[in-house]
Amino acid sequence: MKKELQTGQIEFINIAKSYRTSKGKYGLLRDIIGEKFSGLSSAKSKNQEKFYALRNISFTVNPGECLGIIGNNGAGKSTILKLISKITYPEKGLVKARGRIGAFIELGAGLHHELTGKENIYLYGAILGMSKAEIKKQYRDIVRFAGIGKFLDVPIKKYSSGMYSRLGFSVCAFSDPDILLVDEVLAVGDIDFQKRCLEKMHSFAGRKTIVFVSHNLDAIKSICSRVIFIDGGEIVKIGRPNDVIKEYVRRSSKSRKN
Amino acid sequence: MTLTGNLSELVKFRELLLAFTDKEIKIRYKQTLLGFLWAILQPAALTLIFSIVFGVFLKVSFSTIPYPVFAYSALLPWSFLSSALSFGSLSVVNNSSLVTKVYFPREIMPLSSIAAAFFDFIVAGLIFILMFFIFKVPIGANIAYLLIIIPSLLALTIGISLILAAINVLYRDVRFVLPIFLQVFMYLTPIIYSVEQIPQKYRVYVLLNPAAGLVESFRDVTVLNRSPQMVPLAYSIAMSFVILILGYAYFKKKEKVFADVI
Repeated sequence: MKKELQTGQIEFINIAKSYRTSKGKYGLLRDIIGEKFSGLSSAKSKNQEKFYALRNISFTVNPGECLGIIGNNGAGKSTILKLISKITYPEKGLVKARGRIGAFIELGAGLHHELTGKENIYLYGAILGMSKAEIKKQYRDIVRFAGIGKFLDVPIKKYSSGMYSRLGFSVCAFSDPDILLVDEVLAVGDIDFQKRCLEKMHSFAGRKTIVFVSHNLDAIKSICSRVIFIDGGEIVKIGRPNDVIKEYVRRSSKSRKN
Repeated sequence: MTLTGNLSELVKFRELLLAFTDKEIKIRYKQTLLGFLWAILQPAALTLIFSIVFGVFLKVSFSTIPYPVFAYSALLPWSFLSSALSFGSLSVVNNSSLVTKVYFPREIMPLSSIAAAFFDFIVAGLIFILMFFIFKVPIGANIAYLLIIIPSLLALTIGISLILAAINVLYRDVRFVLPIFLQVFMYLTPIIYSVEQIPQKYRVYVLLNPAAGLVESFRDVTVLNRSPQMVPLAYSIAMSFVILILGYAYFKKKEKVFADVI
C-alpha cells in the first residue's frame, strides 16, 4: 500500500549508505589489480574498503516539526541532509521527501566570487529553486536581513566570511522552502547574526519542517521538538530534546574517561 | 527516473538554467580588457592565421570566394563547438562545491556552458554577416537550411559535452585528453579544406564524423550560396540527435554518483 506524503514530510526507510575508503571502483587501476592478487586477505581488505556512513536508519519527520540531529563528527549527520536533498542517493532503503527543499548546508556554496552581491542573490535564489519574480519580491527583505545594503554592487570576493554566510542564509531563509535543512550555520557569523538566524528559525518552527544539524546543544534544545542522536552511522536514541541530549552528553563524557 | 520525468524536472528548473547561463556569460569576460570582443577575436584570429598560412603561403584557393571568408564560414560553427565542448566538459567538476551541496538537475551545468558559448556564436555571427557585405557575397534562399543545421550542431555539442562531463567526474583524464581530442577533431573537420578537396576514396571516412557534414553544409548554404550535399547532411543530423540522446542517457545514469566521487 502506497501512502502519499504530505507537503513538508520526510520519511527514511531502512537507509544504508557506504563510501569506499580506498578508491576501488573509481580510483586507481593498481587498486583493482592489487585486489585481484591479494588472494587470502581479500575478504579482510574488502571490509576495510567499505565505510558505512549510515546503516539501518529509519525515521519520519512530520510537516511543521523541527528535528535536531546530534552526534560526533563523522557520525553521519551531514549524510542524512544530503540524502534528504537528493544530492546523494542511498545504497539501500528509501528516502522520501515532499515539498521544496531549502538547504543551507555550507556557507558560500553556490555563491560566485566574481559576481556582485546583487547578482549573487539572484543566482543563489535560482539555485534554491526560486523564480526571478519571487526573488524580486523578496529582494529588499533579503538585503535587509543580510545587512549588506552598502555592498550590493561589490564583487563578493571582497566580502568578509561573515558577510558571505549572511548573504547565503538570507537568500535561503526567504526562499520559502517547505523543508529547511540547516547544517552548522551557527558556527559562522557574529553573535548578532547568530541571534537573528535563531529568530528566523523560530519563526519557521511550526509552519515549516526543519532539520537542524548542530553541535550547539542549547540551540537544538531551544528550537527542536524532537532530536536524533546518531553514532557510527546508527541511531542511538530518538525522542524529546532533553532526554536525547542528556544521553549524548552522558556518552561523550564516558568515552572521554576511557 | 524516466526520460519524460528527467525532462519535466529540467523544465521545472529552467529559471536556474537561465541564471547559470547569465552567470557564465558575465564571469567569462570579467576582469578582461576587451570583454565581449573576445567572442569575435577568437575565430577572427584563427581566420587570420589560416588565411596567411593556407591562403598566402600554401596558396590553397577555393573557387569563387576569398580565403578569409571561406575559413571564417567554417571557423564560426567550429569555434562554437570547440569552446562549448571545453567549457561544457569541465563544467560539472568546476562546480564541484555545488554538486556536493545543492540539488538541481546536474545537466544544467554543461547546458549553461554551452548556452554561453552559443551566445558568443551569435556575437561572432554578426561579424559573419558583416563579411557578406564587405566581400560582396550574395545571400540566397539556401540560408534557410541553417534552421536545421544549427539545431543539429547544438544537439551534437550537447551530446558530446554530456558524455565528456560525466566521464570527467569519474576520471579527470578528460582534462588532458580534451585539447588533443579537439586538435584532431578540427583537422578531421573540413575547416581549412573543403570536402571536395579530399581524394574520393577517403571522403566517406571523413564524413563519418557528424561535425564534418554540418560544418561543410554550413559553408555551402552561407558563403557558397548553394544547396548542401543531402546524404552527408541527413546522416550528420541523424547522428547528432542520436549522440544527444545517448549522451543524455549516459549522463543521467552516472549523475547519481557525482556527489560521492567528485
